[in-house]
Amino acid sequence: MGRWFYVLNGLILAFLLLPVAIVILFALNPEPFIAFPPSGFSLRWYDKFLHSRDFMHAFTLSLELGVGTALLAGCIGTAAALAIARGNIPGSGFLTALFLSPLVLPGLLTGFAMFQLVMVLGIGRSTPVLLAGHTVVAIPYVMRTVLAVLANADRSIEEAARGLGATPATVFREVTLPLIRPGVIAGCMFAFITSFDQFPVSLFLVAPGEETLPIAMFNYLRFDFDGTIAAASTVSIMLAVLLVLAIERTVGLQNSTRL
Amino acid sequence: MAAVAVHGARTLSRSSAWLLLTPALAVFLLFFAVPFLTMATMSVLSGNPMVVPNPRFTARHFERILDDVYYLETLWTTVRLGLSTTILSLLIGYPLALWLARARGRTTRTLLMMAVLAPMMMGLVVRTYAWLAMYSNRGVINGSLAWLGLINDPIQFLGSEAAVVIALAHIYVPFMILTLSGVIARIDTRLEEAARGLGASSAAAFLQVTLPLSMPGILAGSLLVFALAISAYVTPIVIGNYNIQTLPMLVYQQISSSFNLGFAAALGIVLLVVALVLVAAYNRAMARAPGAA
Repeated sequence: MGRWFYVLNGLILAFLLLPVAIVILFALNPEPFIAFPPSGFSLRWYDKFLHSRDFMHAFTLSLELGVGTALLAGCIGTAAALAIARGNIPGSGFLTALFLSPLVLPGLLTGFAMFQLVMVLGIGRSTPVLLAGHTVVAIPYVMRTVLAVLANADRSIEEAARGLGATPATVFREVTLPLIRPGVIAGCMFAFITSFDQFPVSLFLVAPGEETLPIAMFNYLRFDFDGTIAAASTVSIMLAVLLVLAIERTVGLQNSTRL
Repeated sequence: MAAVAVHGARTLSRSSAWLLLTPALAVFLLFFAVPFLTMATMSVLSGNPMVVPNPRFTARHFERILDDVYYLETLWTTVRLGLSTTILSLLIGYPLALWLARARGRTTRTLLMMAVLAPMMMGLVVRTYAWLAMYSNRGVINGSLAWLGLINDPIQFLGSEAAVVIALAHIYVPFMILTLSGVIARIDTRLEEAARGLGASSAAAFLQVTLPLSMPGILAGSLLVFALAISAYVTPIVIGNYNIQTLPMLVYQQISSSFNLGFAAALGIVLLVVALVLVAAYNRAMARAPGAA
């Protein structure tokens, strides 16, 4: 492929990555509004972020929701992926499509539909409802990575264990579970970040006074453009970079992102 | 024993498989299927059946959408933003997807995947703020132009549709790239080599062989980006500077200010129907892609 092809792609990569890199720069810019080029170096926005009660409350809630979602979606998604890949049940194609559908269906609609249900039932919005919403959209990430490792795993190992006289339960515990472990770990990380960064599903489901970090950041952005948002954003940026590196090391990026 | 070997490792009995599926089925029934059914029902009911004793079926919410130019204009703005975002994502995404699919070295491929995926994993608010920092009156673009002495007064980017479309394309182009590169990677490179061997130029070989064969990927990626772009909320609000009105904003206003659950449900159904048609078409396109299972 010619030189222009690489020049063009270099520009596209810059378009993808530069705006995000700029955010890190603005978090360190002492100006009280968006101003470029930066006038100096300061940690005042990190200080403000770390000492804001609202942001810290939202940050803690988002961390808790992320861990809760990763645990719930991790267990539920792994169990379902095992059943589909190794259970030989009828309609597994339909079930896979159903469980993976939140990946392509806009999250705003999933959140809004759940909002309709809790309003009609008179339950109202609450953090458990939000956790349920996050879990629904996180399950497909776990299923996808676990299904990917199961598809790549050599079935003859499981068959050999059976042939040597192991009971199905032993094979499952001693062979299948260790095989899928990287997929489960990668899936849980995906689930965590899906919840931690979640905006569309949360928009309709956050309980008043119980805002998550992305919602708190959005609300802040309506009135204030100072570097506090940039400082808060670095958390999300660093998590994304860590996640990508970790997934490459566990199951490989190619395996876990097929849409 | 023989049967097991033939059918592959059926390490789970059917009953334990159903047992493992139960939690996922329960979650999807309660928090996915039932909510969407509720929304569909509410969109054609005259009131909340838990509050009003005898709600009737009515089409009045949908009639209200169709009768009011304001709602139709909002719908058109939403679709227009979605279309522009899709076209721009395709133009930006195709070259990178081609590189990702054809890169020989494993390191190159991994680094490219990271460059595409890392921004995709960042929060929507983070990426929207990034564009706010680009577009603001003293932001990166205006600041650089002023520093170079090219402008005296800042260019007003915020509030324009073009600014929203570029930001949305930045946010959703990873979905386009992943879909496209998956399809392009499965195209047999020998076909293009054969075309060149028969005397076609590189450009002609690409235009007449690779591009047509990647059509299912183009279609699938476009449908996905369109579905995501029409349901975007944060970016059109913030980058649109509260100038631009889209369908998701309308849904939110209905429940936050007027609290009309039924009408909001009808607006949600309009968005859902558009998204579902697109997602179904996406699945069909992916099923027809070369080398699809």
